[in-house]
Amino acid sequence: MKTTAVELKKAEADAPGKPVKLLLVDDREENLLSLEVVLGDKNYELIKAHSGRDALKILLSEQDFALILMDVQMPIMDGFETAELIRQSERLKHVPIIFLTANNNAPDNIFKGYQAGAVDYILKPFSVQIMQAKVAVFVDLYNKTRELRIQGEHLQKINEQMAQHAEELIRINQELESFSYSVSHDLRAPLRAISGFARLLKEGYDDKLDDEGKRILGIIGNNGMKMGKLIDDLLAFSRLGRKELEKSKVDMNELVANVLVDIEKTVKHNAKIEIEELPPATTEDTLMHQVWCNLITNAIKYSSKKTPAQIQVGCYEDQREGNIYFVKDNGVGFDMSYYDKLFGVFQRLHSAEEFEGTGIGLAIVHRIISKHGGKIWAEGKPDEGATFYFTTGKK
Amino acid sequence: MKFFEVEILLVEDNSSDAELTSRALKKKNLTERVYHVKDGAEAISFVFAEGEYAGEREVNLPKLILLDLKMPKVSGLEVLRKVREDERTKMIPVVILTSSKEARDIAQAYKLGANSFIEKPLEFDKYMSAVTEIANYWMVLNLPPW
Repeated sequence: MKTTAVELKKAEADAPGKPVKLLLVDDREENLLSLEVVLGDKNYELIKAHSGRDALKILLSEQDFALILMDVQMPIMDGFETAELIRQSERLKHVPIIFLTANNNAPDNIFKGYQAGAVDYILKPFSVQIMQAKVAVFVDLYNKTRELRIQGEHLQKINEQMAQHAEELIRINQELESFSYSVSHDLRAPLRAISGFARLLKEGYDDKLDDEGKRILGIIGNNGMKMGKLIDDLLAFSRLGRKELEKSKVDMNELVANVLVDIEKTVKHNAKIEIEELPPATTEDTLMHQVWCNLITNAIKYSSKKTPAQIQVGCYEDQREGNIYFVKDNGVGFDMSYYDKLFGVFQRLHSAEEFEGTGIGLAIVHRIISKHGGKIWAEGKPDEGATFYFTTGKK
Repeated sequence: MKFFEVEILLVEDNSSDAELTSRALKKKNLTERVYHVKDGAEAISFVFAEGEYAGEREVNLPKLILLDLKMPKVSGLEVLRKVREDERTKMIPVVILTSSKEARDIAQAYKLGANSFIEKPLEFDKYMSAVTEIANYWMVLNLPPW
């Protein structure tokens, strides 16, 4: 049920130029004729009915009347009866009716007429100007309503398309998540076998292997470990996508202190890490722990070849963005012309020989910050260090 | 070896993983009483002494079931459910040993009455030590129901 932009434009274009249909109901031909004369030169399509029955028949087969002009005094079925029947139809009940009636029995008739669903009255003999003006008002109303309806339909179609796209996007995302999950999941078993059996070979047949054989076995083992790290990181990344955030007020000073304790346990380094006072943030603490951990570990890694390696962790307030946290190092930095690759999955700006890593760390950080509705960006210069900035989103 | 004398039932469809697990158990001198079945359906046949496992007893009660989750035909969770539903077998200690760390799987396993849930470590050393620790805990430290 896709509607193209061309079709929508066509529907819009149809609206204004098309003549507007009016139904004239009167049992006397000369009355119909005089109405035709009065309304004739406008952009109206006039359709005549000679009795109430005739009018109903026309209304059943034709649609989109802007207005019905109906005589009250007609034989067999008068204007009021006809109007009541018209009002019973769901499709027709909103078509306005103007009754034409003779002066003599006006007050009583007016009441009956409104009950039957008339929207207006014109007393006979009518003034040409008043007739033209009243009809013009209803036609104008009809045109505006029609425009509004077309616009409404247009809007609804756009909304439907947007909803469809959103649904599709969610579905594709879910598929992608489950795909990457099951792929990385299923990759683990053969990998465990590769590195496991390489180890068994090494342990059980060490005396039978010469140096070259041992070297090759070492390469197998090492690559197995690397792939394992890749898969674990990819799994962590994939899991992140499906996780719901549980935000609370987090003391960033405490969090960073904990991160540093973890890092000291696992990473050997000589960096001098300076930590400024950090304001609290409303975030999920485990994820924010990961953000700080990845950024600080990166800073340590990429400044490891500098003496002294210096890292600064801090925060400043920005009028538009609020608190901006940052991690700054004096390490190898990066070339800003590769900036678009910085936060991509498996994207690296340094070789694994130079600095080890899987290329998922910053992608994870980026995803966490985006999930929070925050922003992350970086500045760097080759050999002069890098600074990573982030915000944690609105409260 | 008679089936009822099996102390550890290893339910594992991946033969490499099964071999690694068996090797780790060998170090604890437990292999003599470890029996490996290759999927959930075979595990059920074993425990309930059906088909090729029919024998002197109406059920076989190992001291521990090491259970993988993702297996063809009958999944580990299905095996767990069957074992827990039967009065005769519901007390068998069951340790899930799987590649999955899915929160859904973990929750479901505990709901069905798993005694423990261990993710298979990727690294060889960690894998070996995980298996020996499991064996040590459940076969040496822990007092089994029979």
